[in-house]
Amino acid sequence: MPEYNIIGKSVQRIDGPRKVSGEAQYAADLDIPGALCLKVLRSKVAHALLQGIDTREALKVPGVVGIFTHVDIPGINSYGIIVKDQPALTNRVRFKGDAIALVAAEDEASANKALRLIKVSLQDLSPIYDIREAMREDAPAIHETGNILSVYKVKKGDVESAFKQADVVIPGSYTTQRVEHCYIETEAGVAYMDNDMLVIKAGTQNPHYDRRDVARVLGLAMNKLRIIQTTTGGGFGGKLDISVQCFLGLAALKLGRPVKIAYDRQESFVATGKRHPFFIDYITAANREGKLLAVKVRIVGDTGAYASYGPATLLRAAVHATGPYEVPNVDIEAFCVYTNNPFSGAMRGFGTPQMAFACESQLDLVAQAVNISPLEIRRRNIFQKGSLTATQQKLDVSVGIGKTLEAAWEKALQVMPGLGDENK
Amino acid sequence: MPDLSEYYQPQSLTTALELLAKSGGKLRPLAGGTDIVPAMSKGELKADGLVDLSKLPDIQRISVDGNEVKIGSLTTFTQIETSPLIRAKASLLAEAAAAVGSPQIRNLGTIGGNIANASPAADTVTALVTLDAKARLDSLKGSRRVLVSELLCGAGKTNIHPQEIITEINFKIPPPGSKTGFIKLGRRKALAIARMNLAIIFNVKEERISFARVGLGAVGPNPRRYVVLENSLLGQTPSEVLIEKFAIEAECEVTRVLGSRPSAVYKCEAVKGIARDLLTKLFLDSGQGVV
Amino acid sequence: MAQFHLEMKVNGKPIALDIDPGLRLLDVLRDILHLTGTKEGCGEGECGACSVILDDELVDSCLILAPQAHGRGVITIEGLALNGELDPYQQAFLEVGAVQCGYCTPGMILAARVLLNHNPKPSKQDIAKAISGNLCRCTGYAKIVQGIEIAASLKETKAGVSRA
Repeated sequence: MPEYNIIGKSVQRIDGPRKVSGEAQYAADLDIPGALCLKVLRSKVAHALLQGIDTREALKVPGVVGIFTHVDIPGINSYGIIVKDQPALTNRVRFKGDAIALVAAEDEASANKALRLIKVSLQDLSPIYDIREAMREDAPAIHETGNILSVYKVKKGDVESAFKQADVVIPGSYTTQRVEHCYIETEAGVAYMDNDMLVIKAGTQNPHYDRRDVARVLGLAMNKLRIIQTTTGGGFGGKLDISVQCFLGLAALKLGRPVKIAYDRQESFVATGKRHPFFIDYITAANREGKLLAVKVRIVGDTGAYASYGPATLLRAAVHATGPYEVPNVDIEAFCVYTNNPFSGAMRGFGTPQMAFACESQLDLVAQAVNISPLEIRRRNIFQKGSLTATQQKLDVSVGIGKTLEAAWEKALQVMPGLGDENK
Repeated sequence: MPDLSEYYQPQSLTTALELLAKSGGKLRPLAGGTDIVPAMSKGELKADGLVDLSKLPDIQRISVDGNEVKIGSLTTFTQIETSPLIRAKASLLAEAAAAVGSPQIRNLGTIGGNIANASPAADTVTALVTLDAKARLDSLKGSRRVLVSELLCGAGKTNIHPQEIITEINFKIPPPGSKTGFIKLGRRKALAIARMNLAIIFNVKEERISFARVGLGAVGPNPRRYVVLENSLLGQTPSEVLIEKFAIEAECEVTRVLGSRPSAVYKCEAVKGIARDLLTKLFLDSGQGVV
Repeated sequence: MAQFHLEMKVNGKPIALDIDPGLRLLDVLRDILHLTGTKEGCGEGECGACSVILDDELVDSCLILAPQAHGRGVITIEGLALNGELDPYQQAFLEVGAVQCGYCTPGMILAARVLLNHNPKPSKQDIAKAISGNLCRCTGYAKIVQGIEIAASLKETKAGVSRA
């Protein structure tokens, strides 16, 4: 093997020294003298129409400099990485935690006091937490476009005939839970005006997309806005969405003063995206040698109040539903559905971990039914060079999964001696 | 941030007691702070002012007096966990202290604070009630000693008067030859609030259990002794059959106490597991935990 | 509102301040002394990102009020490097890749330091127990444990060198 400068070497990360010494500045570490403290008033109910909002008492609190609601948004009050469906400050509540008002004050205590004095009148709508209920035709629509946001289908071959010819047909239902990313750094940032340029510094995974959405919401030209990513304390997909960016930009722009915001852990839990809970119905057909013949899969992902990365997540779920295995006949449908739950977005694996749980569980059941080991059924179906995926992609260059499977088995035998011969 | 109008850091117990007496209930004593500081920061707990006990001398000591162990109320969980005296004379308490929170919390949190906080799941409290420990409460009017079990009167509730401070915890060393142990069921190894905890003390004479104490926490509003479970051990010979019988008794007791509460299904099953684990360890284990 | 006259040593330097007694130790370190290497992750003692060393013991600086540290010594991550040179713990964390997002790193390094002060040759289990109050979401902990093992050996070598 040739000698490289980087490849095959242990390379120290460039930001390492600043991180071990404590010098690295994360968003909440930035100190701008005179910066106003921002706090967000969030809904305590999951579904309601905003009828009125009275900020007069709150504005009288000494130290309070400004309070903003949906009427103060200078641009288009909606953002989103795929679908522009999420308002920065809403006039219709779609989940417990939707942002209703933004307070800017000289200090945190005054901002908190103002939050308690804002009077919000809401017309309650009945909330939909259950995905099946949300999909019913007569279900109240959470967004104008209806509750089924997108459907992805992967179809090939003839699944029904394969089911008839198969020696075993195994149905299974799987549900996976909502997961919070729980990066140790909560969302935070600062913003200020540099002459006519709005500068936002925040913990984010997506500064370029942030700029596009913040410019839209604030009605700014893209060249009048800078988003600078601060050292970011973990994201795992959760910091791909807008969190504090629009609030920072709105207040700094309207007030012409530097502003700062930092979510505490509770607000981070309440306000930000989660991993999609999945509801999966999975039918697998195989012959008596354990060779997979067909799968029929129906996947519903609960994207909650807003789309975020939901459509992409369900698309990935559909194309990865067969796992790394050859299946000649497939009938896969994946639905991305709105509910009044916290919104779901990107989180490590983008829908594939949920599918792996269902697909791999199914393989174990098939193995049991045809009386071969879990290892053997995987060997007999795993992708190899030349395999066709569910979407007819021919893997004609390099396929390492078979080797990986064998290496994993060797390792398992090493660390768990006596891992039954019955598995071989 | 809590808005404190008063903050005192007295150097003597008398000064601390005078401050509490004068304040008419406005001041609260502050021990380690691990429960009330975050509660105040989040606005869940209001206090006008605090009397910080951290500078009081002589209430961070562990000593033995005859057949009695005395622990100053500001003794931290780490000090209890690592005390050779506690490990030798009441290992269940050392084990309970070691089960609290994380190293950071054990370095701050105190045994007096654990009692005063009156959490249903307080780990050291389960050990203390099993030991029939008493707390000494001081005020300007004098001092009294009360069984810890009688000081607690519900989740988060105690009979401590606003002008009183817990200054010491004392208990009799279990009879010579006793075995003691503590087990906690948490959702993870560190930083878990106990889903349930169990403490046991017993003594075997002529192959039969002649002395038994059993305490359970996170079942009722406060940890307490369960005499029915103690009786199921008394007079019996340690054996696998007895472990199983005890586990079933524990299930019955927890079922009776929890009734139709949502946690009942889980806890009735789980208590059998912790009962088996702890008794198996104590029956088999010949060295550790012997007083 | 009451004021409290706080005197403590921070990273070896005596500090005297009049503060609002409702401030947590974390707030004084970050907002007044600008020692932002100490992080807030949860504000309730679950994550350990705010860990500091208080008189040789590891504590969560979000769980105590600043006056409770009166008359005591506090060491934060900023107190480790000497004249810009990283100490063995920091060096070891860098070398093995125990640092990813870095947000838990100051707390982890301080936990390691307290452990090695009390126990120069810790087992893997000792290390796991010592960092059980510190959460990391990036590394899966394996590299952090390895970093602490290397720090222990680095310290031993250094001690050997200085004795010789």
